[in-house]
Amino acid sequence: MAGFLLGMERAATQSTPPGSTVASRAVLSVIVAVLSSLFLLFIVAPMVGVVSAGGAKGIIAVGTDAELRAALLLTAVTATIATLLGILGATPLAYLLARRAFPGRAIVAAVMDLPLVIPHPVAGIALLLVLGRGSPAGAALYAAGIRVAGSPVGIVCAMLFVSAPLYVSAARETFARVDKRYEAVARTLGDDAWRAFRRVTLPLSARGLTAAAVVMWARAVSEFGAIVILTYNPKVASVLSYERFTSYGLSEALPVAAVLVLFSLVPLVVLRGLLGGDAGRWWNGGTVER
Amino acid sequence: MISLDRVNARAGEFRLVDISFEVPDGGYGVVIGTAGAGKTTLLETIAGVIPVTSGRVSLGGRDCTSQPPEQRGLGIVYQHAYLFPHLSVRENIAYGAASEEDAREITERFGLGSLAERSVDALSGGERQLVAIARALARRPSVLLLDEPFSALDPRSRNSARRLLRAVYEERRFTALQVTHDFAEAGLLGDVAIVLDGGRVVQSGAPEIVFRQPASAYIADFLGAENVFAGVVSLAPSDAATGSWSVSDEYAQRALVFTTGELTFFAISDVAEGPAHAVIRAEEVSISVDDSRSSIAATASMSSVRNQFRGRILEIASTGALSHVTVEASGTPIVAAVTGVSVQELGLAVGKEVGVAFKATAVHLC
Repeated sequence: MAGFLLGMERAATQSTPPGSTVASRAVLSVIVAVLSSLFLLFIVAPMVGVVSAGGAKGIIAVGTDAELRAALLLTAVTATIATLLGILGATPLAYLLARRAFPGRAIVAAVMDLPLVIPHPVAGIALLLVLGRGSPAGAALYAAGIRVAGSPVGIVCAMLFVSAPLYVSAARETFARVDKRYEAVARTLGDDAWRAFRRVTLPLSARGLTAAAVVMWARAVSEFGAIVILTYNPKVASVLSYERFTSYGLSEALPVAAVLVLFSLVPLVVLRGLLGGDAGRWWNGGTVER
Repeated sequence: MISLDRVNARAGEFRLVDISFEVPDGGYGVVIGTAGAGKTTLLETIAGVIPVTSGRVSLGGRDCTSQPPEQRGLGIVYQHAYLFPHLSVRENIAYGAASEEDAREITERFGLGSLAERSVDALSGGERQLVAIARALARRPSVLLLDEPFSALDPRSRNSARRLLRAVYEERRFTALQVTHDFAEAGLLGDVAIVLDGGRVVQSGAPEIVFRQPASAYIADFLGAENVFAGVVSLAPSDAATGSWSVSDEYAQRALVFTTGELTFFAISDVAEGPAHAVIRAEEVSISVDDSRSSIAATASMSSVRNQFRGRILEIASTGALSHVTVEASGTPIVAAVTGVSVQELGLAVGKEVGVAFKATAVHLC
């Protein structure tokens, strides 16, 4: 929208006589400011509303409500495991997508975006089909003593599925930002490809990758749709807030919801402050400077 | 030695096509070409960063075509240094150093000791480039590839960096290949010049040959030859009338005349008669005035110089101690490079009538 308006502004500047340019710019600036403010309000108001209505109760509930504490702990642990697995599995893929031209690269990139566009309950059903006890993979895992559906493993799988694409996308952009010639120099200085990656590319990408991991973690924490299909119990915080809402109404759901908002926001804000620089830009823009 | 034999390589949409040349062991090659000619791609292909699709790359007599960069025993210095920003100056230089002693020695030699613990972000452009060169040299490569390493530097830093690099080169005698768009630098540094255009080698050889005898008008123009004329070559009247000793030998030098517009001048060359280009370097053209008060004698009419014309000065462009004086002779502008002192002593000024002269041997026909 902002880009469209800026385009309009540019077009207006080019096509109008100099006398009216200043007035046109002023009008367009006001329109841009009003629309941006309304949009920002639309995003911020619900969160502020939840926190202000249920924040204090929620903080107290963390001390008194054992089920909430367990749900928060489970959420944090499973989101952390999902994020670590994502880093482990998706970092090489992100690097490949950023650096190597291979047949089908565009298809792989598109497939990685798929979990972002399908409804999350559908993602849960798909995971249940592939990893449920009725599937070959699920049966094999079950035989090995790993139950996916109805267990924390299922929560991790659901979180990984829906949030890893965010990490891949951000990590890919981060790697693409590191000029290949740093690696080329490292190679001529005696490093093999892995050593050059470890000594040069990884340190230069560290901030961006950390920011990507934080975003993935936050997304995992907030996941509901896929988890509720795959593992209703034990409950993560999002499922608990849903259950409290459907069983007891808004007043009981609010404290849990408020804690969950704070739970998701605090690490993002803290990490943004810690990282600054690249991560800040990445976080600010949502796109990456080249 | 760097030897490329019909090398083809591809970087995105850009292709290097049938590249062949050789820089002898301990030699200094220079690659010259316009932006987009493929100079950096060429260096990266030699380095193994860009894979060869066909042909052979040999370094020090070893076929390295399929070797990864780390096994080629070479160093590369890019125009933009590419210092590792997460490492200090000392760590950058020591990154791939043959030994700690080598890193220390080159650091001191390049006067970087006081900067050793600094972040590379805190360095000036000249310092960054010195660190990049030092980093490559600390590895003691047998081949050093330099991609316009001095182009971003101010003249003083450039001279200093060039001098330091040259001193190490003279001492270690590695084989070097440097990309430059500055032919003066190429002439100063190189044993072999390779002119690249559109991913192909259009001429290679000793710099003075490439400089004085460019293979085409394009190369002459690109190399900055001030006098490039299109015209027609024919046999010199004496040769045509008498049948010269050289006419029977198609490769022998012959006395020829070259006509461009109203201007005709003598040349010595082995080119065939017909349409051609004539290239005369401004440094080969002299100017004289018929002025008895001048401290320099106007002796052109009494000399052995075959090509002497009268004309008027169109323009005098001064570049420091050197001036480029454009004289219009028979409707053709001829540029002469003369010293500022000569301009003063001869009283040269726009509109003044002067004599211009150049030897037949100074005319290169291509």
